[in-house]
Amino acid sequence: MEKLVIEPTFNSPSVILDPESNQFDFSGESRPENVRKFYLPILEWLDGYAKEQSGMSRSERSSNLIVQFNFEYFNSTSAKYILDIFKALNVLNDLSLKILVKWLYEEDDEDMLEVGQEMSRMSKLDFEYINTDA
Amino acid sequence: MAKAEVIVDFKGPISFATMEMILNKLRSSEAFNAMKKPAKKRLYGTVVESIDNIYKYAARDQTTARSKKKLPVLAIKKRGKEFIVTVGNLVTNDVVEDLKFKLDRVNQLDNEALKSLYEDVINKEAGVDDNGAGLGLITMALRAEKDIQYSFSLMDQTHSFFQMQITINE
Repeated sequence: MEKLVIEPTFNSPSVILDPESNQFDFSGESRPENVRKFYLPILEWLDGYAKEQSGMSRSERSSNLIVQFNFEYFNSTSAKYILDIFKALNVLNDLSLKILVKWLYEEDDEDMLEVGQEMSRMSKLDFEYINTDA
Repeated sequence: MAKAEVIVDFKGPISFATMEMILNKLRSSEAFNAMKKPAKKRLYGTVVESIDNIYKYAARDQTTARSKKKLPVLAIKKRGKEFIVTVGNLVTNDVVEDLKFKLDRVNQLDNEALKSLYEDVINKEAGVDDNGAGLGLITMALRAEKDIQYSFSLMDQTHSFFQMQITINE
């Protein structure tokens, strides 16, 4: 899979999906004008990545995947697609890839922490919560 | 009652560009910058979701809105320790019952029930961009300090003016 890089704008996040380093990063603000148009290529990329991984033998597959979410803000429509990303990541989890989700939040931003906890519960993925002010 | 400080008072057609203008005005205001970060994010999110709600429900026929001098409005005011977001727009009468149902539902539920409804809706709606079951309204209700106040004023056989008010604590 080719690395997927989406540059940030004032209303859409930076996205880097790098299969070489096994590091996926999302950061910034998410309230793009067309949320579906923004997130669909990401979900398609993850689907392609899962297909590629499932076609490999266990020894050829990536072993650890670090996925970092550092959102300043995302609107409720984006939230649906972010949950879809976690569900797509859960498919990778089923392929025995060890996925480490890092959910970053600012110390006093309890809403962001709580949303992360809900996302973790709904997607059945374990999250590590990182206080960026600590 | 203390006099309200007006932070944003907008009336006109709402587009993505006007949303940026409104958010910029909010971000550059003294009252907003004096808020603590969590409350700031709640207010910011409420304004974004309010405008999204206009997009979703506004009557497509904006000529009618103009002819009736009922253009969308969005106001952000500060009164004491409360920030009050008022948003209004012309809707077609066929969405009134649906909106009333969703607003009454979020107003009746406590936070735990709202979270459970949020979970039902986000899982059901994932990947669909329609009027949906009101994930934005649920999110606003979770962050708001009081019930969402709303009203519908019947304009004619096909249109009503919908207005809602959300209060966020400083």
